[in-house]
Amino acid sequence: MSGTDGLALATRGLEKRYGARVALAGLDLSVPTGVVYGFLGPNGAGKTTTMRLLTGLIHPDAGTIELLGRPFGRRDRHRLFEVGALIEAPSFYPYLSGRENLRSLAATGAHTSDRRVEELLELVGLRDRAKDKVQGYSLGMKQRLGIAAALLSDPRLLLLDEPANGLDPAGIVAMRETLRHLAATGKTVFISSHVLGEIQQLADVVGIIAAGRLVREGPIEELLEGEGVVRVRVASTELEAATRILDGLAGDGGVTPVPGEAGWLSIRFEPGRAADVNRALALAGVYVSGLETGSDLESLFLALTADAPSGGSEGTFFGLGGRRPEPPSGPSGPTGWLGGGGAT
Amino acid sequence: MRLLVATLRKLIRRPATFITFGLLVGLMALIFLAVGATAKQQPSATAREAALLLVTFPGAYTFVVSFILGLGGLFAVIYGAAIAGSEWTWGTLKAAVARGESRTRYQVWSLAGVGVMVGVGLLGAFVVGVVVALVGAGLAGVSTAGLSDAATLGQLPELLGRGWFAMIEQGVLGFTIATIARSQLAGVGVGIAMYFGEQFATIFLPDVVKYLPFHAAGSVVATTGGEFGGSDGGQLAQLDPNAALVVVALWLVGALVVTSLFTERAEISG
Repeated sequence: MSGTDGLALATRGLEKRYGARVALAGLDLSVPTGVVYGFLGPNGAGKTTTMRLLTGLIHPDAGTIELLGRPFGRRDRHRLFEVGALIEAPSFYPYLSGRENLRSLAATGAHTSDRRVEELLELVGLRDRAKDKVQGYSLGMKQRLGIAAALLSDPRLLLLDEPANGLDPAGIVAMRETLRHLAATGKTVFISSHVLGEIQQLADVVGIIAAGRLVREGPIEELLEGEGVVRVRVASTELEAATRILDGLAGDGGVTPVPGEAGWLSIRFEPGRAADVNRALALAGVYVSGLETGSDLESLFLALTADAPSGGSEGTFFGLGGRRPEPPSGPSGPTGWLGGGGAT
Repeated sequence: MRLLVATLRKLIRRPATFITFGLLVGLMALIFLAVGATAKQQPSATAREAALLLVTFPGAYTFVVSFILGLGGLFAVIYGAAIAGSEWTWGTLKAAVARGESRTRYQVWSLAGVGVMVGVGLLGAFVVGVVVALVGAGLAGVSTAGLSDAATLGQLPELLGRGWFAMIEQGVLGFTIATIARSQLAGVGVGIAMYFGEQFATIFLPDVVKYLPFHAAGSVVATTGGEFGGSDGGQLAQLDPNAALVVVALWLVGALVVTSLFTERAEISG
């Protein structure tokens, strides 16, 4: 495969159909070695299909895959000895304990010692519950065991599908630190996720997929350049005046009300110049009761994927009105408010 | 080898293993103890004789083995289907394949594990069967002198070996069905339907049915006048035991090939 030097994972022209439905329509991924790569896409975009292809669970109709610099096809299952994966929900025997499940899995694929099993139980905080049957585990505990299972063979490439699913906040922080540590030691972490905030905090490189094709890929800082936003909250009686003043700063169309958040305005503006926004409003006699800044991966994601036809069967949630949402020019609300800094 | 050890560890801890074994020996114990306790209360001399025969050694050995191989065949189908189906239902096959394990190797070792468990179950059930037959004999007040009958004891190893082989074939059939169905429930359901379907087929296809997997398995152990394992009471034309052995081997190999091909080609999802 040309142009794949230094990549831990590369796909070229990857295609997959399920009957008449196209799941992947020529996917070209380039995942550099030693990074955390965030793989984003709406429901049905082809994320899980990609994960299954990368682990040999299904086979492509066309295109090629390279894992750790070498081609990966039907007869190349040994490549997976250096790959760890957590795909969809963690899979375990419910009647076995956590420890027995890991030992059972360790008997497959690359040779893995019992000591490694114990290390991983310690790492994911399950040592005290290792003797308990998995059927009694919470979703978060199963997820932690799934992450331990993915790490069994000390993989050079880790493929994780929604790894934060079900984890408590402390678990998410610990997982983030573990994955950052793995990347720092030269391993590559490929994460598929819907939690954009998590990806924004964790990933070095992001790939966004829509309708089975890659629509954007690159270092996260580069992708978020020009995606800076400042949000202010003003009294509802002063919204019109504030919009007029801020239009002068951000230009026409640069200021939009935040849907569902009364009094909040979103301004496309470099976050480092948030003080200019505050000053302009204050000079005009409009005082803000809240001010936040950030680079908005969600805005970028929605802008890139909102018009893409759904490639999958999962459909799209349009809300109670059944109306397709407009691609926003700013953040969609506090829950979608991602990223750094901010003050009120 | 580590895969076989891991498979056995899984199967030993699996509730289905104990439930299947418990049902088999429980039913057997119930029958032998009930017969032993009520044999002398039978209204007619013929019925009394027949009941006493069941718990009188060495003939009791025959009935113990017949019972195990008859009902055990059905249980082997269910057990094999449960083991294979759960690998798909729980996603554990997916996890192994994603670690680079060979699909065929994984399935073959899983089947080997089922075969070992079936063998252990067969021996265990035989021991329990002999013990409950002895208790039944005690309840019926008949002599147990035939317990050490040399001729019968000499036949037992071959008989149990053949029975094991036949039960493995039936377990593998259940395994294959569940693999194709990719579901524990569907595998068990279809396996049971096939088992009884074959019994019904004797009405319509009397000349063909002796070659079908469950009847052939019954014929494999019919070394002493068709008493062992056969569920048709010897009314149907049966294969010669050695010919049946070949037919069972063919079914076994065929099921293994189908399992392997299907698993290799399957798109694993869910």
